[in-house]
Amino acid sequence: MTAGQGAGDGPRSGYAARTMPNITTVARREFMSRARTRTFRITTILLVIAGVGLALAPILFQWLEGESRGDRVEVFLGDINPPPNVDVVTALSQILNANAGSPIPLPGQGGDSAPKFDVSSTDDLDAARRHVVDGSSIAVLALGRSPGAGDLKYDLYSKDSALSRKVQLIRQAAISITIQDRLTRAGVSPIDQARLFTPPEFSLLPADPNAKPGLNPAEDPTAFLVGFGLSIAIFMAIILYGQWIAYSVAEEKNSRVMEIVLAAATPFQLLAGKVVGVGALAILQYVIVAIPMILAIVFQGQISSLILGGAGALGGGGAEGGGAASAGIQFTTIVAFGVLFVLGFATYACLYAGAASLVSRQEEINQIVAPLTFVSVAGYLVATYAGTGLIPIDSPVVIVLSFVPLFSPYLMLTRLSLGTAGPVDFAIAVLLLLIAIPAVLWLAARLYRSGVLMYGQSPSARTLWRALRAD
Amino acid sequence: MDMSLVLDGLVKRFGAITALDGISFEVPRGQVFGFLGANGAGKTTTMRIVLDILRPDAGTATWAGTPTTDVPRETWGYLPEERGLYPRLQVLEQLVFFASLYGIPRDVAAARGREWLARFRIPDYEKRRAEELSKGNQQKVQLIAAILHEPVVLLMDEPFVGLDPVNVALLKEAFEEMRGRGTTLVFSTHQMEMVEELCESVALIDRGRLVLGGSIRDVKRSTGRQVVRLALDGSSVDGAGVADAPAWLASMPGVRVSRPGHDYVELAVDHGVDPEIVLRAALEHGERVTNFLIADPSIEEIFIERVGRPPSEDHHLAATEASAATPPSGSAPPAARPPEVAA
Repeated sequence: MTAGQGAGDGPRSGYAARTMPNITTVARREFMSRARTRTFRITTILLVIAGVGLALAPILFQWLEGESRGDRVEVFLGDINPPPNVDVVTALSQILNANAGSPIPLPGQGGDSAPKFDVSSTDDLDAARRHVVDGSSIAVLALGRSPGAGDLKYDLYSKDSALSRKVQLIRQAAISITIQDRLTRAGVSPIDQARLFTPPEFSLLPADPNAKPGLNPAEDPTAFLVGFGLSIAIFMAIILYGQWIAYSVAEEKNSRVMEIVLAAATPFQLLAGKVVGVGALAILQYVIVAIPMILAIVFQGQISSLILGGAGALGGGGAEGGGAASAGIQFTTIVAFGVLFVLGFATYACLYAGAASLVSRQEEINQIVAPLTFVSVAGYLVATYAGTGLIPIDSPVVIVLSFVPLFSPYLMLTRLSLGTAGPVDFAIAVLLLLIAIPAVLWLAARLYRSGVLMYGQSPSARTLWRALRAD
Repeated sequence: MDMSLVLDGLVKRFGAITALDGISFEVPRGQVFGFLGANGAGKTTTMRIVLDILRPDAGTATWAGTPTTDVPRETWGYLPEERGLYPRLQVLEQLVFFASLYGIPRDVAAARGREWLARFRIPDYEKRRAEELSKGNQQKVQLIAAILHEPVVLLMDEPFVGLDPVNVALLKEAFEEMRGRGTTLVFSTHQMEMVEELCESVALIDRGRLVLGGSIRDVKRSTGRQVVRLALDGSSVDGAGVADAPAWLASMPGVRVSRPGHDYVELAVDHGVDPEIVLRAALEHGERVTNFLIADPSIEEIFIERVGRPPSEDHHLAATEASAATPPSGSAPPAARPPEVAA
């Protein structure tokens, strides 16, 4: 079928001259009439707020928690003699609040993470114990020296059990402080101590020498995040904007305006115009939502220090993750995403339009598009499972589906971002989509042609079959 | 080359129902053409085939010798029976949109649209949404949408339904003007007085078949009957207020009373009988004749004679039917409806 021909059999030169102008005219109306609605503006504003909110969630979460610096732990040093060689309060705070990784606080490391523990010293053990009882602090750590070796010894007063995570952490911190204390007493200088605790080189390698790298998403969380995020973007576009197209078709049919339009334009022109118009608006809304969101992610560090102040600034995992995610999105991934987004959306949009042309009332839309939504959800879920490792990314099902047009937008993207698919795989998937789109357009235009003049019939397999056969 | 719209042997089936059963007729270029038939006769289906909204199972539709599918779209203007506009789109924008589909530049379309809105006395409505307009005004907007690109052929399905007398007059005026410019106007209607007043040619279809067609004159002549209106001074009037036809009339061969009335009786005179014998007989019976008129039968009479029921009655019937049932495929009403439904 060439552009300008309808769904029918014979050539229709009466329409040919107006194919592009009519697609443009229909697309323009579709775009403008939708962009001007209050619903569109409100949705866009809400999506921008939600997008930025999502990007800044960790900071906002922390900010909402307000001044609370975490669980209070009080340290009671009493008349300890000789006093510890370590600033116990600072060391404890650093160790407790440090990232998992280094068990020992080293100069310049840790301490800039979100404080989970608020460590302070106290001179009144009884008062501190009462704080634990009334819940205003979680524990009191009382230090002393054992009579023999003069090692530090600790009494922890807490309502938590010995096995609780907090108690475990405090215990681990106490061990570290003790070792530091011992080293200092043994005359090891702080610089030597730092060298002692420098982590060794340590690499993780696959046991199977033939295994492809990057198969385990846990090894490349950035790639996983990128693939996951982009899959969500395609999924949302298809569900949300596919619905728009379905509603637009039903509205034209409901208001009976369809017949006038069909006298002037072919179902193909109408359909293509709708997909282009709504698609353009979808991309516009996406860009409007994505730009502030990406900016929020990129400048997460700055925003964090602005809101929370220098000391409480969100660093570590959050900023690293954000920075890595934005840095991790490569140009090729963006291009692949763009291509799959447009082609995937076009495929689904045509089918949504064709399906919606079969129903008479807007209430019936959900019923008729349900199978399409189901396929879309399935593709998205398989992509998510494959991305998170619930389904092996190199399983035959995932590989085969990543070429099947209705699934490929999700799965090929996931495979690409995890590095298990190359340019050739991508090209094949795109080629198959490009072959599928005219077929889908033909199918949809055919449904459309007979569907749009069909009123009052329940959407059933029989209706569908008749619509496809009808001329 | 033949510059007319020619339908040749159109057949269209919807499942088991045959909507069109070999329709053939010709609409001469530049004429006002009345397309008559009961609801469900196949008028809408025929128009949709001409416009390539539906495809026929057999037969062809050509304009000036070219299949209508291949004729540039802007040739046609269409006012469908199902009126429809985009509910939330402003009136002028709708007009510009429809005209754009036919290749009219937006500014030209807007200027023409304003002109027509003013002509139809709704110039203040250009910024209103269609859903805010009354049905009659929506219909006017839709008609403007059909003619804004100045089509060569204008197809209208029941253009007068739902309009008040003032708007009917405005529409007729517009018809005359378009006809003066050489536009071919085809419209379906149940209002036979419109046909008498406006049309030069007609086609009457019933249950998917052409019953008769041609120029109004030929159609009227084709019945072979003539109508005589006879008014007599001093006719006795019965209790119902209807003048009794004189007894001598009933005994005349080839003449029968088709419509008794207050002022005159209407007589159908068979083919081959000279209507003047009625006048002679009246005078012979010593009647005082105040009015004697020989005329062709009205289109309404021909309709009733050929279809077996008046078009207005059928319209009413079909309207209730249409709301109760829909055809099993396509929205074309079932043409092969069992006769007893309409009887």
